[in-house]
Amino acid sequence: MIRLKELTKRFKQVTAVGNVSLMVAPGEIYGFLGPNGAGKTTTIKMLAGIMRPTSGSIFIDGLDLLKNPIEVKARVGFIPDRPFLYEKLTGSEFMSFMASLYGFNGAGREKRIQQFLELFELAEWARELVGSYSHGMKQRLIMSAALLHQPRVFIVDEPLVGLDPKGARLIKRIFNRLKRSGLTVFMSTHTLEVAEELCDRIGIIQKGELLAEGTVTELKELAGQEDPRLESIFLHLTGAETESTEDISFINQENSSIP
Amino acid sequence: MKVLTLLAPRWWGFRNGLFFGGRRSLIKAGSLLALAIGFWVGIYVIFYRVLRYFQAVEEFGDLLAYKLLTMVYLTFFGLLIFSNVLVALNTFFLSQDLEIIHATPVSIGEIFAARFLDTLVESSWMVLLFGIPIFTAYGLVYQASFVYYLGLVSVIVPYLILAAALGITLTMILVQVFPAQRTRDILFLLSLLVIILLFFLFRFTRPERLVDPDAFASVITYFRALSAPASPYLPSSWASEAIWPLLRPSTVSSGFYQGFLWVNGLASVVVCAFVAIWVYPGGWSKSQESGRLFAGRFLSLVPKQLRPKKARRSQTLALMGKDLKFFFRDNTQWSQLLLILALIVLYLYNYSVLPLDSVMGSTFYLQNLIAFLNVGLAGFVLASIGVRFVFTAVSGEGFSFWIMQSAPVSMRRLLWSKFLFYLTPLLLLGLILTIATNELLQVSAWMRWLAPITIFSMVFGITALGVGMGAVFPDFKAENITQVATGFGGLLYMILAMGFITLVVILEAGPVYILFMAQARHHSLSFFQWLYVGGSILLMVLVNIVAVWLPMHYGIRKLAAYEG
Repeated sequence: MIRLKELTKRFKQVTAVGNVSLMVAPGEIYGFLGPNGAGKTTTIKMLAGIMRPTSGSIFIDGLDLLKNPIEVKARVGFIPDRPFLYEKLTGSEFMSFMASLYGFNGAGREKRIQQFLELFELAEWARELVGSYSHGMKQRLIMSAALLHQPRVFIVDEPLVGLDPKGARLIKRIFNRLKRSGLTVFMSTHTLEVAEELCDRIGIIQKGELLAEGTVTELKELAGQEDPRLESIFLHLTGAETESTEDISFINQENSSIP
Repeated sequence: MKVLTLLAPRWWGFRNGLFFGGRRSLIKAGSLLALAIGFWVGIYVIFYRVLRYFQAVEEFGDLLAYKLLTMVYLTFFGLLIFSNVLVALNTFFLSQDLEIIHATPVSIGEIFAARFLDTLVESSWMVLLFGIPIFTAYGLVYQASFVYYLGLVSVIVPYLILAAALGITLTMILVQVFPAQRTRDILFLLSLLVIILLFFLFRFTRPERLVDPDAFASVITYFRALSAPASPYLPSSWASEAIWPLLRPSTVSSGFYQGFLWVNGLASVVVCAFVAIWVYPGGWSKSQESGRLFAGRFLSLVPKQLRPKKARRSQTLALMGKDLKFFFRDNTQWSQLLLILALIVLYLYNYSVLPLDSVMGSTFYLQNLIAFLNVGLAGFVLASIGVRFVFTAVSGEGFSFWIMQSAPVSMRRLLWSKFLFYLTPLLLLGLILTIATNELLQVSAWMRWLAPITIFSMVFGITALGVGMGAVFPDFKAENITQVATGFGGLLYMILAMGFITLVVILEAGPVYILFMAQARHHSLSFFQWLYVGGSILLMVLVNIVAVWLPMHYGIRKLAAYEG
């Protein structure tokens, strides 16, 4: 469903993503993991058609994103890491607007909008401006809007950031439901438990290069770790284990400025 | 010392923007500097020539120069107060860094002092920049000694402080009444204040009387009217009174008014500080509270076909519907309609009081000439409205631009929807300005058609330039959309729009003159004259087409490649 072929993105001298190739099968949830600045968001932005790769290609649902951007985008639901929305629209207006943009004009449109607003507990706020929503509410609204047009591929950057435990549980339930219905999910996350719990396969990226990919079991074997937790596999593969031994005693040393 | 620390990010930001932005930002800064110098020289030349002309007028030339000085100070004071209120609203209540600043162990007094200086500099530099060539022209024309220039500094510094203190105090009081987060009411009030201020400025100066001495009962009354100060309670009068004795021998003492300005300037800072320390903590806290914001107040103004239920059929209508809702729900946008209304009223009023009857020569010729030049003037008015609304249309998508980038919407559709959205109101405004002016001037029958048709064709170019250039120079991260209009791209838009308007007017001028003279002298046109007229019209049509196609084409390409 998703195929990246030697995907590269350079910003002047810096290679943010270098020769990344991977495939995600239909109905699969693929987790994209990596430390800060590894190239996760850049990859996600290229997948969403926001950024053009320097070289390489992206195929979604068999279509080349660079050659057919409009057709591909119509098949994709995208959720960025930061929920910047139109603050001057109400929740329901935003949903209607997004439905129009994605050409979702079927008969059941209004009913579906209402269903999503209720599912994400936004119905009560539907007639109020997005500007008055909390971070979590905005995140839920984006999620609703991204699912509205029944995408075949769901691209999510940090899906659980800013959500309370109840909201996070709802998202997990939705992801599992989407997976059963054959929707493909490509998500980046820092929350390793989420990746472990939801993802069929995981790719680990560091300094723009795909270090390893596979199921948690395959990654464990690859890392040769005794500890079965994804956290220790991740730290081992990214070489971050050693950093935790650094001297941190200076944090609470004597010369405090508090009188 | 903490005050300096609080001000440091400002300086660092300015420095980093200049030196870390690479060659492009240096080129930008260089071009801006060149433009500023050009503008500076232009203002200087105009004032120098006007003052030289006044000097040549026997008896009351000096009085005219004095009157002009008071007008300059009065205009500056109005601009300073308005700009200080707007800047203070941002620096004291809405700026994004305030949350961090208020969380640090810095006293309210120190925050106030730092923000006061910040507001003072940000709202005064432009007025100061434009003031320097004017005051230099006065100094050179009147061959003033260095005492004049020293006195000038001694007058301007307390003058700027006084305006800043008054503006900030007014903001502090306004925020007590209206929460800063919901600035609509404040801006509404400000807009009204500006309209009132404009009318006051207009009434105070009474420019139409200066060119019409006959309206006075006698020459003495005329002189008395000219020499009377605008108002003894206005700081602009004190500044004029302090400066004038340094240029010409006078009965009043410059020192007295300089002292008066300093005392009042410093006293106003003390009053402002007291008010701020008293009300600012509460006002800041209040500005953090965001209640439920209800929408729909202006939905009734939205044409039925653009309301959501119908808009869902087409992407273009959905995009235009969104922009319309944005416009009426964004206080910084719709409140400026009031200013435009005031502008139209003043614009038409100016034409209604033109003393055409008292000018020697053919009134008919003059009326048509002015009506023709009015096409260019109306174009300039539309361009200055365009830079504020149309040029900023793309940047107005702000941080939410990712929605457009990731949605199945082409940038072509997005830009053309914005073009259509702004075209209609600008067309309407252009037609009002030309048709109403033609009516006031009582122009000939064919001029009644020519002016609206020309402006009609130009509006397409003015709008396309705005949308296209806005897409070439987008700023989706701007804290305030007005900053986008005053940036490099906005300046370039104004230059190109004015160039386009001038070119169209020049191309039309030749044929219009030939046709007008032929009609007046009852001649028919020769073959070459017809060729010239036809060629000019063809060229004009071509210029209009290029002005629409080129910026839109380039804008679409640039926006499609945007990766911010």
